Amino acid sequence: MAPYTGIPLSPAELQYLHTSLSQDPPIRPDGRSPTQFRPLVAETDILPSTNGSARICFPDGTEAMVGVKAEVEKTRGGGQNVKGEVDGKTGEDEEMGDDSNRSARSGRDWGEWVEIGIEIPGMRDDDALPIFLSAMLTEALLADTGLKDTLWINSRFHWRLYIDILLLSQPLSYPLPLLSLTTHLALLSTRLPSLISERDEDPLFNDDWEASTPLYPRSKADGSSAQKPPITLLVMSVGGMIYFDPSADELAVADAVVALSVTSTSTTDADALPLKLVALRTIDPPSRLTAGGVSNVLNTTSTTGTASTGTTSTGGVLAIRENDQGQSVWRPPRGGVKRAVVGRMIKAVVEKGGVGMEVMAGLAGVET
Amino acid sequence: MPLDTSTYALAHLRLDGRRWNELRRIHGQISTQAAADGSAYFEQGNTKILCTVTGPQEPKRGGGSSRDQSNEAKVEVEMNVAAFSGMDRKKRARGDKRVQEMQYTIASAFQSTIFTHLYPHSTITLNLHVLSQDGSLLACALNAATLALIDAGVPMSDYVSACTVASAPSSDQTLDEADPLLDLNGLEEQELPFLTVGTSGEAGKVLVLLMETRVQVARLEAMVSVGLDGCRQIRGILDGVVREHGRKALESRVS
Repeated sequence: MAPYTGIPLSPAELQYLHTSLSQDPPIRPDGRSPTQFRPLVAETDILPSTNGSARICFPDGTEAMVGVKAEVEKTRGGGQNVKGEVDGKTGEDEEMGDDSNRSARSGRDWGEWVEIGIEIPGMRDDDALPIFLSAMLTEALLADTGLKDTLWINSRFHWRLYIDILLLSQPLSYPLPLLSLTTHLALLSTRLPSLISERDEDPLFNDDWEASTPLYPRSKADGSSAQKPPITLLVMSVGGMIYFDPSADELAVADAVVALSVTSTSTTDADALPLKLVALRTIDPPSRLTAGGVSNVLNTTSTTGTASTGTTSTGGVLAIRENDQGQSVWRPPRGGVKRAVVGRMIKAVVEKGGVGMEVMAGLAGVET
Repeated sequence: MPLDTSTYALAHLRLDGRRWNELRRIHGQISTQAAADGSAYFEQGNTKILCTVTGPQEPKRGGGSSRDQSNEAKVEVEMNVAAFSGMDRKKRARGDKRVQEMQYTIASAFQSTIFTHLYPHSTITLNLHVLSQDGSLLACALNAATLALIDAGVPMSDYVSACTVASAPSSDQTLDEADPLLDLNGLEEQELPFLTVGTSGEAGKVLVLLMETRVQVARLEAMVSVGLDGCRQIRGILDGVVREHGRKALESRVS
């Protein structure tokens, strides 16, 4: 996964940022707390020709818009149950019909019922970034099996959801959280026309849009908490500290960057976690692309007497760099992220009153 | 249906209740995106287009020095029609010919209006996002691009304003029955022969005139003159949007 290049920060600035972020208590460049998000502008239902739409602008100027459209599609392998009933065959055939009905209901291929398309200006459809982002968003969406039940109409037809994501600005920072939050908001506002026809006949829908049902209902009939679409958050770590909603500067010095996808669990159990983790992916931090600084010892342009006495062999230089270990000058981070840190990241997102719930509650407030 | 000639001849009202010379609800906004050099959002009825401008800047696609022979800036247009913009969801192929032709038309219209000699060897990139289409796509794109270029501070000789005109169906072939209809929506565009005219300046110098359908040549003059008048009206609207934005910017500074 190709990370972002073009970080206009010098090794001294990178070291400064890294030091301030690894302190305890940490100091972020804009003074936020580690779990505080930057304010964003969000609006829904902006496109009249879609089933659901949303637009979110981040304060750094990046902006994304998502439109959701739904079409009725014939289910592959469905419909055999209808034939069996019409012919009035023996029990065996009816049983076979039941099987295919069951498989259609089980929607073995229901992963194809959702299609996500991402448009990033300046990139083609087969560039690495759009494909990677669309795979991550699809994976998080399909982890919720309840969605399949909502899209199922009858054994012969189902809804096919097309989620089209437009990144309206140039990708200045990693666009994954922006696109994920905008998709979440658009799905929350998506409505499907209500079904009038019964059982397996050709689907017929109510023309009245006021009677339409939301794709993700606010509250279920049995009073349990409603299912919500997933969100993907970007979390970074520096040393042992974790930070949410990292800005471009903070990403430039990150030790590790992780994308966490969470979705809500429909449970009435008060003790159970309100959210569950569906995917966790590490992202190559852009800090790996930065150049390391030159330490005083190796600085052959300095004219003071503290310059080295001529150990210019590459082995010697390497040894000095390794011994330095990024203490005196900036060195691009190496290695992975500690399991304990990942554990803390997950806990901070999924726990009750954690960051995940805060973000979802914030977005639900937009939807009127 | 527009082709149902009887209803139009009766009251001379179109499907959406407009008369022959009425524009749709037009709304424009400047500076909608902080990250872009210039941006604008323009709506003509249900046709909604967002335009962002990047530049003038060094040409990114590293063409060697041999490419920049002219001492002028180059205008590049990229139009992205969203898959959810029409009634049915339709993802455009990359090299869609209609989109390419529109891109070329828009680029050449602005190449002649912008003072390109002020920015030699640089590129001005226009990114048009079509969010919803309901007729007058090219016209709305030209208007949105004008606003975005003004927001970006790119010097131009005048506003480029555009609109569409159709020839109303008439039961007999006499000229006085055939009203030119201004500013078409999607349904009317499918049924009637129409043209898109884009002008620059108060005098109405024609920069773009595009017609893909067939019409009797005798009706053409009336259509074009109605189109020029429509463009003048739209130019007034564009000017109003820019002045309003300027007034707000000044007020926030002074107070």
